[in-house]
Amino acid sequence: MSDDARDDFTEKLRRLVETVDVANALTEPLARSIENLLMISAREINSSDASVLIRDGDDGDLRFLSAIGEVADQLRNLKVPAGKGIAGFVLSSGQPMAVSDVGEEKTFYAEVDKETGYSTQMILATPLRHNGEIIGVLEYINRRGQPPFEAFTPEEMDKAAIFADALASLVNAYEAAKMFRDLGNRMISGGEEMDVTAVREWLTDLRSSAEHREMMDLAVLVREIASRGEAERSMCREVLEAVMKFTEAHSETQFLNY
Amino acid sequence: MTTISSKTSTNGAGLVPCLELDDGWRTATGRAVSVAVIDSGIDTTHPDLLGKVKQSVEARLENKKVVFEPTEGEDSAGHGTACAGIIARIAPDAEIYSIKVLGPGGLGDGHAFLAGLEYAIKRGFRVINLSLGTTKPQFFAPLHDLLDRAYLAGCIVVSAANNLPQPSFPSVFSSSLISVSKTDSTEPMDFGFRFGEVIELTAPGVNVRTAWPGGVRRNLTGNSFACPHVAGIIALILEKHPELTPFQIKSALFAIASQNQQRR
Repeated sequence: MSDDARDDFTEKLRRLVETVDVANALTEPLARSIENLLMISAREINSSDASVLIRDGDDGDLRFLSAIGEVADQLRNLKVPAGKGIAGFVLSSGQPMAVSDVGEEKTFYAEVDKETGYSTQMILATPLRHNGEIIGVLEYINRRGQPPFEAFTPEEMDKAAIFADALASLVNAYEAAKMFRDLGNRMISGGEEMDVTAVREWLTDLRSSAEHREMMDLAVLVREIASRGEAERSMCREVLEAVMKFTEAHSETQFLNY
Repeated sequence: MTTISSKTSTNGAGLVPCLELDDGWRTATGRAVSVAVIDSGIDTTHPDLLGKVKQSVEARLENKKVVFEPTEGEDSAGHGTACAGIIARIAPDAEIYSIKVLGPGGLGDGHAFLAGLEYAIKRGFRVINLSLGTTKPQFFAPLHDLLDRAYLAGCIVVSAANNLPQPSFPSVFSSSLISVSKTDSTEPMDFGFRFGEVIELTAPGVNVRTAWPGGVRRNLTGNSFACPHVAGIIALILEKHPELTPFQIKSALFAIASQNQQRR
């Protein structure tokens, strides 16, 4: 390897390590935030255990991403086959639902309980949506204290939907950061055949969205104006701030008041 | 007596259509009324549903196209069985048709759901229970088109709201279908009408005890379970008045709900 090539390689590797460091720095706090929000929401909904399940592949399978409660450690990374149980239904249908007596069910939950030694009595499950896509499911299991438990109320279902909105953004950010981290790690470790299809699909999807293109166009336009001089930058800032104020004042408009 | 049935009366300017409905529907059983359940399938061996499901079909992807094939009645998620159980309790003689669009193998991405609705309209099922929804904007226009086709074909589509911050389709299309959200009423026939709201109908959907795969029953909460209550009631009305159109059915529901509300 020539000196130039070695320098080039060293520079690329340095950048890669930096990228992995940034991705690591992003994933850890995001994972902690997801867990913290799960804890806060579970307390608010008076539930003892809660978990976030995310879509795993294209066939509708789910995987436990985060969990709090008695058997949290055993649940993490456990897979749920497509269409199985309430979580599978919520993922594919987009409809939230609650079951107040899962106990005797001889289906998926009995299998998970067998594996974890837990006793699932009741479930509240609601979809996690990001940009209209269902990316996972938020579940609350059982009440705090001892059974018999009171069923989840409609008000608690509404609260769960609001927490699901906040969690979905965090989960999406976490997954994006994790993808960069994993990609970087694989490139650094080298040797293995790297499967970048998922990354490519994600990037293509991102770039092909009209919203992303419009944002990029806007960013290019602002940079173009800003490069023309101080007066242009000042005017651009004033215009953008005025637009910001206007949109803030009108942000309460809702779709059909729904 | 609130009476709504198709007939004509004179108003000085000649014969005009008039709607009168007697209470005969309250003793009806939904006989000969077809009710499609577009969902996760139905466990046809459940004791509450034995002999009530006339046919089960399942969506399958074939060369990137969704096709429907007859299948043994099964439900891996339980939701379809729960909805069918509610319909069968209200309208025990209704002919239930299971259209499975949710399940493993990449189904449930919205396309199968739309294909299921199209299939149900083509088959001409009188009532279509849709305890599902999507928030994907790309499905707004095709669903709107399908709902209009259902309306013109005389199919009455009953859809569950999703109770989430984002609007879900088709439940927010208030003109061409009947959308339902849940109340905690424990009386199966106690439904309400909220004219002026996007989701117009309310029906019991909190701790509803209904069929669940494996021959058992579960207490379930969700708008999904309010929706089949209204689908069942529509089957009762249609048994007595099969000639009613979707907008007449909505008028009938409005009139009955007003009575229900006065009784409270």
